[in-house]
Amino acid sequence: MVWKLVKEVLKVGEATVLYPFVPAEVVVGFRGRPQHDPQLCIACGACAVACPPNALTMTTDTDQCMISWNIFYGRCIYCGRCEEVCPTGAIQLSQEFELAVMNKADLFEQADYRLADCGRCGTFFAPAKELEYVIALMEQSGLSGGELEERKALLGICPACKRKNDIPKLVALNQEAT
Amino acid sequence: MPQTYSKDTLLGASRYTIQVDDETARLKAALLGDIRRSVFVYRVDCGGCNGCEIEIFATLTPIFDAERFGIKVVSSPRHADILLYTGSMTRSMRVPALRAYHAAPDPKVCVAYGACGCSGGIFHDVYCVWGGADKILPVDAYIPGCPPTPSATIFGFAMALGLLGQKLKASHHIQADNEHVHPRHPEIALDVRIDIERMSRRMAGYWHGKRIAESFLDLIKTPDTETEASIQSYLAQQDDPRLAEIFAHLQEVYRAHSQGK
Repeated sequence: MVWKLVKEVLKVGEATVLYPFVPAEVVVGFRGRPQHDPQLCIACGACAVACPPNALTMTTDTDQCMISWNIFYGRCIYCGRCEEVCPTGAIQLSQEFELAVMNKADLFEQADYRLADCGRCGTFFAPAKELEYVIALMEQSGLSGGELEERKALLGICPACKRKNDIPKLVALNQEAT
Repeated sequence: MPQTYSKDTLLGASRYTIQVDDETARLKAALLGDIRRSVFVYRVDCGGCNGCEIEIFATLTPIFDAERFGIKVVSSPRHADILLYTGSMTRSMRVPALRAYHAAPDPKVCVAYGACGCSGGIFHDVYCVWGGADKILPVDAYIPGCPPTPSATIFGFAMALGLLGQKLKASHHIQADNEHVHPRHPEIALDVRIDIERMSRRMAGYWHGKRIAESFLDLIKTPDTETEASIQSYLAQQDDPRLAEIFAHLQEVYRAHSQGK
């Protein structure tokens, strides 16, 4: 009886994985730490809107004319919504899972981007990188010449000034109609 | 409830957090240095979803075998060296959490486990949630994850016991002057891209859908004759009938667009 059991044990072998002495095997499709590439980020904030637990947040500091992207890994639930909505592929879930820390401050990551100022009133209103990306997108979708210049001029002003800009046009349209 | 989004609020202990005196802190450091392979862990669930508990017990199975490192889960806080707090610390569970803390003999180490234990996780702004073990207890180590995998748990304990070093470091990037971002897939028309992404998400879900759409768009070549061959070789390499099915649908969408032109 005992001999049979020993044979069975030898046949099965050792089931225990050798982690942490060798790197752990991670399955394909494992959702680990969201890896942020600050070079590719345009600070549009889509990930912060999508993030269910608010691990990703955007804060705007108009005095410093900076917008900052923040992640708190202690709150992340690794759902991958941020990766799904990112237009530039700046954020991607990696296979990394070794996130334990002794110091809570190490769970934070931040990236600061410059804000662009309005061409009319000078208020800071949108990340400069985002505006640049939008112009590149318009060029890609086939806009050129006068129309592109017109759109570019519109992009350079803040929403409040855009509304003010629209008033004379709307008045003219209204007069045409009547 | 305080504003729970700013870094200062998240980092700072609340006014209810138990303070550790210098003597206990010294003893605690000595405990972590000397404990080596006799770690008795008491697990306190402070209002979690039980995902973390399942992973803790998976860590104790023969596959991950936490007892290799002398890590043993005990059934009373009076036997414990390490208190493992899971769950987002709900209002009702904070008194039992404190009772477990006071029942454990000094020096003791507190570990916050899971996204909820570290910060309240997805429940951080619920009315009855205090948002993490460190809002009332002096926490020494944080193991984030939702839930942390058994490997992540073993890493967390190995790091707390000084066997392995911490890997994650805080970082702060400030925009440089030469940072420019270009749109991806500039050669593919916007409406084609949107339709492909939509079809892919419809078939594979949001996360895999995005990844599959990206790999499909990467395979589209400028002379269209090469596209077919590159897709076929990619599918042969992946050897996944589910992927082949999705790619067939994406190709249909793509062909419809190119014929429409």
